Amino acid sequence: MTALQKLDEYRYLIPKSYREGMKVEGLIYASTELIKAIEHDLTLTQVANVATLTGLVGRSLAMPDAHQGYGFAIGGVAAADMEKGIVSAGGVGFDINCGVRLLRSNLRLNEVKPKIDAVLNQMFRDIPCGTGKKGVVGALSYEELDRVLERGAHWAVEKGYGGSEDLHHIEETGRMNADPSKVSKRAKERGKDQLGTLGSGNHFAEVQYVSEVFDSETAQAFGLFAEQIVVLIHTGSRGLGHQVCTDYLEIMQEGMRKYGIQVVDRQLACVPIQSPEGQSYLKAMACAANFAFANRQMITHWTREAFASILGNGDLGVVYDVCHNIAKEETHRVGGSLRKLLVHRKGATRAFPKHRPEIPADYMDVGQPVLIPGSMGTCSYVLVGTERAMEETFGSSCHGAGRAKSRHAAKKDITAEQLLEDLKRKGIHVRGASKSGLTEENPDAYKDVSLVVEVVHNAGIARKVAKLIPIGVIKG
Amino acid sequence: MEEGYRILEHPADVGIEAFGHSLKEAFEYAALGLTSIIVEPASVDPSEQRFVSLKGTDPENLLVRWLSEIIYLYDGEDFLLSDVTVSRLDHGELEATLDGEKMIEGKHKLRMDVKAITYHQLKVDETPEGVHLRVFLDI
Repeated sequence: MTALQKLDEYRYLIPKSYREGMKVEGLIYASTELIKAIEHDLTLTQVANVATLTGLVGRSLAMPDAHQGYGFAIGGVAAADMEKGIVSAGGVGFDINCGVRLLRSNLRLNEVKPKIDAVLNQMFRDIPCGTGKKGVVGALSYEELDRVLERGAHWAVEKGYGGSEDLHHIEETGRMNADPSKVSKRAKERGKDQLGTLGSGNHFAEVQYVSEVFDSETAQAFGLFAEQIVVLIHTGSRGLGHQVCTDYLEIMQEGMRKYGIQVVDRQLACVPIQSPEGQSYLKAMACAANFAFANRQMITHWTREAFASILGNGDLGVVYDVCHNIAKEETHRVGGSLRKLLVHRKGATRAFPKHRPEIPADYMDVGQPVLIPGSMGTCSYVLVGTERAMEETFGSSCHGAGRAKSRHAAKKDITAEQLLEDLKRKGIHVRGASKSGLTEENPDAYKDVSLVVEVVHNAGIARKVAKLIPIGVIKG
Repeated sequence: MEEGYRILEHPADVGIEAFGHSLKEAFEYAALGLTSIIVEPASVDPSEQRFVSLKGTDPENLLVRWLSEIIYLYDGEDFLLSDVTVSRLDHGELEATLDGEKMIEGKHKLRMDVKAITYHQLKVDETPEGVHLRVFLDI
């Protein structure tokens, strides 16, 4: 086995000789410090395993927040040729379109801080969160759920959750090309009473303020300024998305026998993009993605109501909404020619530069906002996409801090009372659905998000725009 | 080999190891292990029965389908498990009776939502001494 090769301060190459069957090289973005954490688990093996898949273009990539996942590493990016390549349900993951949305306000820190407890109480009452929690909209009929799956955030706006101006600031305008008939009854059963819920685990809604502006021109274009109050919402497609992935892992395993595909890890199950199974998966994945877009749109609406009732208004507008787990058909320049590719991003964010047709008109001259949530009670970042990301990473960047300790180990480190006390001392108020949920998300269980962001900024695959610090957390 | 289950650690998630004298028994313990991650087992009463019949392409696939069924019953039908009997498990087919009840807010002490069962480092090891299963969950 040939070892990892350091190319420069922020890039490490996994040569094809690393393991048998690699069809392309692997490339990891990391600093000397972060690469140690990455080498500590199975991340490198998983990046190399992905490189054995058929029809990949460029390299199998991993971002600086990468850690061991299932089949694919979390923090991985892999692009497949649309005609000859494969699509893998595991390459998107179970929480399809787990993503984040940033809301900006017209309020300043000193206006909100004295009322933060009331704001959090209201949000905690209005946004269903925690294990087993049902949505306040009740169970949807199958017909209505199909409309959600087809129309995504557009459905939510039509039902009075937010306005049409919100849609321009969502990846894919909050609606991907979907076909609800490709989603099983079981997935629909899991999803129909979970719409409009935050969920548990690492999902959250945070009230934050802009603590630092690194790039004032871009921040201004995004409507951000120092000391401004913003809200960051992190959630996904809930049980519906998890079941879509579970179902298609089975369908893809059968498909592999049919198409004579072999993989080195069963969790990498995949089928040709152009096969009926591949096309069905992409339509079902889009349904789950739309469910998640609608979910974040509804949570946005309740956040606005909470702000309005406690603070008068707040004028919460959507800065942007990004997917962290998704596969997207995109055109990229590869070796001098334009090619249609399916880009799998599993724990990675699209980071398109200015002038790409996919980004909103009002951000056209600066680039796409890239939203990077940190661990609970630390900090988050707004970055912007770059040309260099287009050249090197199929327009992709990191997605967060990346877990460093198991949930069990995190829980053993601290009691919920101690954690709440520590956070309060830092000026961060918390409402959590469960004590154990809180301690599992103990910030010490994560890598330092600032180190991750420094790597992507210095490597040039996204550029820092602003830093956000929380004053209030709603936790599932 | 001692029968039962234990919960394993994984940097991002959680796993279950189950041991039994037979494949049937090990599958039962794996289901109980999974349930103990979702809910405090003592808070669930056996007031209702469900019957499950499944097919798998191989023992590993059957284990994933079996535990995915438990997750579906919880997340899709609000059914929590208190006990389980696998009555048949051969030639890739499984039949089981599940005791438990519908979720009641306030009564059941829910612990954690489980997203899915994975094939990551999945193990079904049958030896003359007994059966050892290992499976990781995405939570």
